[in-house]
Amino acid sequence: MSIFIDQHTKVLVQGITGSEGSFWTKHMIELGTQVLCGVTPGKEGQTVEGLPVYNTVRKAVLMHDVDASMLFVPPKLTKDAVMEALAAGIKKIVTIADGIPLHDMVLIRQAAKEHQAMVIGGNTTGVISPKVAMMGSFPHWIERVYKKGHVGVMTRSGSLTNEVTAMIVEAGYGVSTLIGVGGDPVPGTRFAEMLPFYENDPETNAVVIIGELGGTMEEEVAEAIKNKTFTKPLVAFLGGRTAPKGQKMGHAGAIITGGKGSVEDKIIALTEVGALVAKRPRMVGKLLETLNVPKSY
Amino acid sequence: MKLYEYQAKEVFKEAGISVPNSILIEQENELDKAIEIVGLPLVVKSQVLSGGRGKAGLISFVKNVEDAKSHVHRLFTHELKIKKLLVEQAVDIDKEIYVSITVDPLNATGLLIASAEGGIDIEVLAVTQPDKIIKEPIDLRYGLMSYQAISVSYELGLNPTQVKEMSRLLLKLYDVFKKYDAELVEINPLFITKTGEFVAGDGKLMIDDNSLFRQSRYERSLDDYKTEAEYDALLEGIPFIQFDGDIGLMCAGAGLTTTVYDLINYEGGTVANYLEFGGPNYKKAVKAMEICLKVPSKVILIVTFGTIARADVMAEGIVDAIQRLKPDRPIVTCIRGTNEAEAVRILKEAGLEPLFDTEEAVRKAVSLAKGV
Repeated sequence: MSIFIDQHTKVLVQGITGSEGSFWTKHMIELGTQVLCGVTPGKEGQTVEGLPVYNTVRKAVLMHDVDASMLFVPPKLTKDAVMEALAAGIKKIVTIADGIPLHDMVLIRQAAKEHQAMVIGGNTTGVISPKVAMMGSFPHWIERVYKKGHVGVMTRSGSLTNEVTAMIVEAGYGVSTLIGVGGDPVPGTRFAEMLPFYENDPETNAVVIIGELGGTMEEEVAEAIKNKTFTKPLVAFLGGRTAPKGQKMGHAGAIITGGKGSVEDKIIALTEVGALVAKRPRMVGKLLETLNVPKSY
Repeated sequence: MKLYEYQAKEVFKEAGISVPNSILIEQENELDKAIEIVGLPLVVKSQVLSGGRGKAGLISFVKNVEDAKSHVHRLFTHELKIKKLLVEQAVDIDKEIYVSITVDPLNATGLLIASAEGGIDIEVLAVTQPDKIIKEPIDLRYGLMSYQAISVSYELGLNPTQVKEMSRLLLKLYDVFKKYDAELVEINPLFITKTGEFVAGDGKLMIDDNSLFRQSRYERSLDDYKTEAEYDALLEGIPFIQFDGDIGLMCAGAGLTTTVYDLINYEGGTVANYLEFGGPNYKKAVKAMEICLKVPSKVILIVTFGTIARADVMAEGIVDAIQRLKPDRPIVTCIRGTNEAEAVRILKEAGLEPLFDTEEAVRKAVSLAKGV
């Protein structure tokens, strides 16, 4: 079992004919993902990897029994594409777009709530259950990162995820499901909202969160541990410990304002409830050992 | 993108929000004319993007021409290289209010924030007396509703005449928030004058960077940046910050770059610049290195672990950059991810010694910077 996506999830790809869309569709299928069809307005009748392409999501769901939609759609068109998927009744949506307007993200999140759907992203690489299935753009073939196992990973970052996950694998662990919630200030789904899924997943023994300065997502995780809604061992790696105050470093989410959202605040909140915080990526594996999380390899 | 006060006030004025009479000057000899128009007493306000201008002595209240002249001279010759001053009429103040509209990331709504105690450090008030701050969520589908604007105005303790003025102003402020894809629009202080008018004493407008494709009115110029490298990076869309340390960073991804920054500090090194050339910029190695070389540093450290940003493409770009730019300082590379074996071959062929472990690469860069 895995969370959010497994080999039974039936996936539609919006933006399937684009260079990113077709490239990653191929790799999603190669990993074992059930991709059924794609949508690109004006391209109906074409095929990508042998899959039919439709002009609209409405038509695609009429022809196929779809559970989830993967968006390879530019940021300025993302709001419309998400609304189209929601209106067609799709409840799981992943968008990797980097640069979605802030006000659009607010509207996307509200619409998702109303439709009781989940939107993961943007500004992420997506969701992967190694050796099972993925929705997103992961180099799943890199063995020293995408190894199957029992550690759940949630992250706000892209390349840092490869760095940290490689260290988890180096220590003898593997990954159950990795969810990139993304680096935007208003993500479609927040860390704490995914925790219940990891809590109930028999394949997940522990969770690693990869966070950074700014926002309050890590503090919300600490709150869930405190409320005992999440009870499995948890290790965090947080980037930006030594970042100068008031400086915006990269991600829009990564900003310290008025002392709130600093890495120190997050470390205090997490350690107070018994989670462990790694100072360096390599320490993540060691801290999982400290918490007696059984190794997979 | 943060706008200057004078730009924010220009927007406010167009939206129908009153601002004090003012003239923007760029040279000392423009002062006389400005005084003639706005009158005395007046306030000379430095147009810089950093906050805390009052505390930094960048705003001066002046009563006579001599004082105005000496302050204008002081500010134009200030070490911050101030280019523009706003010469603004002083307002007869009865009351100062705080008001802003922003996005609440946790609840994913718009958020109107107001307080009857304007003009002071709102962050401090939020901690010490949170009950003095009114927060009204805004559903962005419907926008700020009149009843909300009226309720908040009453909660500020205003009288019925003032409530009418204030609620109109709040609706106009929301229009600005919406129209400009604002991360934040703020008036602090909002003056209520002795004659009962509502006037924006200051103006802050931050446009969401992700919305700039549909917000083309204001642009940055070289004048807004401390260094040419920062401006070049902006034009290329490359995230970049200049510091004054020894090691130039050329990394992929915000999270990884920030982590490498931390690791350098742990190892006792210092950072000359933060630069991300991952994501959409992964084919811009030449430009990225050109920017890094404009920064005084002792070594350039390249760390990547790319997915879409393929390792082999980045390696090719780096080799190309080295051949074209002939860097005058050592380069440490640690390039991993999609097609990394090919990346290693490319780097070795070009005479580099690629590393695979981030911590090892950081230690190498720190020791090179220290000349060990």
